[in-house]
Amino acid sequence: MVTARTDKKARPKPFLFPQFCKACGRCIEACPKNCIHMGHDIDPLSGLTPVVVDLEGCNGCGLCIDACPEPYGLMPAEGAIDMSLMDPATLFGPRQTTAPKPEPIPDTQVPLPDFEPMILKGTHAAAIGAILAGCRHVFGYPITPSTEGAELMAKLLPQLDGVFVQAVSEVATVNIMYGCGGAGLRCATFTSSPGFSLMLEGISYMIGAELPGVFFNIMRGGPGLGNIGPEQGDIKLLCRGLGHGNTHAIVLAPSTPQEMLDLTMLAFDLSFEYRNPVVVAADGYLGQMTGRVKLPKTLTQPGIPEWAVYGDRMHRGNLITSIYIIEADLEIHNLRILEKYDRMIKTEQRADCFRCEDADWLIVACNTPARMAKGAVQELRDQGIKAGLFRPISLWPFPIRHLTPLLDRARGLIVVEAGPGQLEDEVRLALSHAGVMSSPPIEQVRRYGGMLPQQQEIVDKVSALAEA
Amino acid sequence: MESVFYSRFERHAHGEGLKGQSTHYCSGCGHGLVHKYLADAIDELGVQDRTIAISPVGCAVFMYYYLDVGNSQAAHGRAPAVALGHKVANPDSVVVSYQGDGDLASIGLAEIIQAAQMGIPLSIIFVNNAIYGMTGGQMAPTTLMEQRTTTTPTGRSRITGEPMRMAETIGQLNGPVYVERVALFDNKQRVRARKAIKKAIRVQVENRGLGFVEVLSECPTHLHMSPQDAEQWVKQNMVPVFPLGVKKDLDVEPWFELDNPSFNPQDVATVIGSSSERSDKIVEQFPSHIDAEDVSIKFAGAGGDGAQTIAMLTTRTAIKAGYDSTHIPSYGPESRGGTSYADVHISTTEVLSPASPKPHVLVVFNPQSLEKFGPTVRADGIVLYDSTVIQQPPTLDSSIATYGIPFTQIAVDLGKAMVKNTVALGATVAATKIFPVERFVATMEEALQNNCALLPINREAFSRGMEAFADLAQT
Repeated sequence: MVTARTDKKARPKPFLFPQFCKACGRCIEACPKNCIHMGHDIDPLSGLTPVVVDLEGCNGCGLCIDACPEPYGLMPAEGAIDMSLMDPATLFGPRQTTAPKPEPIPDTQVPLPDFEPMILKGTHAAAIGAILAGCRHVFGYPITPSTEGAELMAKLLPQLDGVFVQAVSEVATVNIMYGCGGAGLRCATFTSSPGFSLMLEGISYMIGAELPGVFFNIMRGGPGLGNIGPEQGDIKLLCRGLGHGNTHAIVLAPSTPQEMLDLTMLAFDLSFEYRNPVVVAADGYLGQMTGRVKLPKTLTQPGIPEWAVYGDRMHRGNLITSIYIIEADLEIHNLRILEKYDRMIKTEQRADCFRCEDADWLIVACNTPARMAKGAVQELRDQGIKAGLFRPISLWPFPIRHLTPLLDRARGLIVVEAGPGQLEDEVRLALSHAGVMSSPPIEQVRRYGGMLPQQQEIVDKVSALAEA
Repeated sequence: MESVFYSRFERHAHGEGLKGQSTHYCSGCGHGLVHKYLADAIDELGVQDRTIAISPVGCAVFMYYYLDVGNSQAAHGRAPAVALGHKVANPDSVVVSYQGDGDLASIGLAEIIQAAQMGIPLSIIFVNNAIYGMTGGQMAPTTLMEQRTTTTPTGRSRITGEPMRMAETIGQLNGPVYVERVALFDNKQRVRARKAIKKAIRVQVENRGLGFVEVLSECPTHLHMSPQDAEQWVKQNMVPVFPLGVKKDLDVEPWFELDNPSFNPQDVATVIGSSSERSDKIVEQFPSHIDAEDVSIKFAGAGGDGAQTIAMLTTRTAIKAGYDSTHIPSYGPESRGGTSYADVHISTTEVLSPASPKPHVLVVFNPQSLEKFGPTVRADGIVLYDSTVIQQPPTLDSSIATYGIPFTQIAVDLGKAMVKNTVALGATVAATKIFPVERFVATMEEALQNNCALLPINREAFSRGMEAFADLAQT
């Protein structure tokens, strides 16, 4: 009898626990027989003056029950009254759902035949990586230079009974992901810098609500509308500014079409492992770059995690939310998130070192500029200059653990980037947090506005340093 | 006892508020009634287990305190987007997006219009009380003219625009199947409101489409009125501006259905276009006559010349021949007619820098490209240009072999100007001897396998390009 639904045939008369009445009086005007009156006695439990029901003239029409806004206000007096409502022990405490305790449905790895390597552009490699990672839901808003990924998904997903929805904006996109990720499914979007800016609000919500989701940010030239050339000007945003509040996400930086696929698959796993968004950050050049891509040995058939709000009996008791209205609760929530970030920092640092072991000059670069840098390392080695490439694969957490052992020997760090020093800031912050007091001098090769640092520029810079 | 309402409400977990079974709503607020009608509808339709309620931002932000269903709490204005995500994730779920007027009719306009126009089965409950309740009584998009709020202290005036009529706006879209505006101010309206909310959920449960119910509701607190006066205020002031009634009610057959996604490896392989590993792989000789380790080529022209296509064919051929190769396009913002350059690298082991600032081979389709990139070609390099459009080539380094071949004229003679890029590719392959001709023809056949009609003319264009180069080289 807990709902106040009126069974018209039974025509039960109303019943009221006075402490649940807020004295709004809607029932008073609702009653055609004038049975209900505003009370005069203050209820000691609520401090309000509940209405008084006089059942003398009541014909059980139920209109008062339909007019009462409180779920446990006026209710039909049929059968036994649930006296547990009067039991002080039931008044406070967490929600008590009648749904079962959810169990996780685990992912399964399905073997794939040996495939010939494919020839794919970066965005397509990411899309196919997502499909192999078990993603069947992609949402997005077209923005160059990321659109090919979304276009391929729009073409392929329906053939696998998946869903591509072109959202009304990036703001809507990230919130559709919030819903789909909240349902426990693997979903993704393809976007580029201005679009990513628009998604930040939603990303903060996803982090707060601890939802997975993979974001491909094919970075382009900025600020503002900028251009569609390749840039790395979102590194600050990705590592330090994922919306409001205490936010971080693992940021993976591929530098080949092969890594676009491999890191995409990793991104989905990490996103679910940590219940947190993961960003695959590429530049416009890499998104367009076509190359050879080997396929993995297995594909993922995703299960449904126990925390999902899937819309079935098993998961009915779950809640997805980022609101913790009590400050002490939100502090605890933040501490839990911080503990999660700590785990990411400890276990998810990734880097690729090329000829670093005996390097005097450590070039630090990621994405496409890392390829120019690798070419430069070869050229410098040919000239007898001991250069090496330190390539962060995780931009956040920065792979400082891989960098520090190389510092003793290095005479200089040269940060090469297509942008205004945001990667260098990450290097400097990581060195500082790691307590490295005397790092080698840090030099730069930077280009801006969609221009990429060229191999020759890097060679010239390092040669000049080596000669000095 | 099973119920759609929790047996106690979590907001009181810390012992705050009135009682564990009271809502947080003010006395006389309409939200409680809407919650009750919603809970009853979910119960009567037997969909409690399948229901996901999207709590909005605003006074109903804590709707999840009350309804024992799957709960998801959305950002301000985004509830329909979140609802859409849940619905496509599980088409069997019954998703209720619940929003107030600031949420739905202001910050979330784009999201509600898209969801409504898409028409995927969802139930939208829109509570319109003509004011921002939770933030403390500011003007809403639905605030009436001359109504005083904290941000229209002298009354809403023309400069802030007129009240948004959402039911009418949503009702004129193609997507929804059912749109109605109801109210709560007397018994008759409440009966209609209860029925309308149930119907909005039923059209979803029956997979017929999207139902939208606007509920004119009372906010006695911010109207500074008693609940009874607030009811009268809604009746006398809101109803004339927001006429009650059914705005749209289509008789639609059930249509919404999504199959379960496939994770079958064979399906996936077919869809992504991968093929099983071949055992008869032959590694071709690396074109070391051009460069020992890394061959760099640039194709340049205007958008539509087909530079990207032949660059891609070259990269595919190189990878099939057993080497690493990359292709990078670069073009202007125009879809057609802007500049269009393609850089290709072929490397023995790994392409490092994929750009071709100093190519070994340059293939150009227009004078501008030749002028721009001609001087960047390396010593002993090769330049091929379309002599149909470039009559006077610039003087380049004497070590560079320069060939003018009428790509366009040959293509036009073949009856299809479009294939000038294939002519160029044939000439390039002949001039560079980069990989065997059969390799390129095989790649071309593979690329055109879904467009077989174009294959003969492309084969012909390729041969003509080769012949044209041979003729030129002889003279």
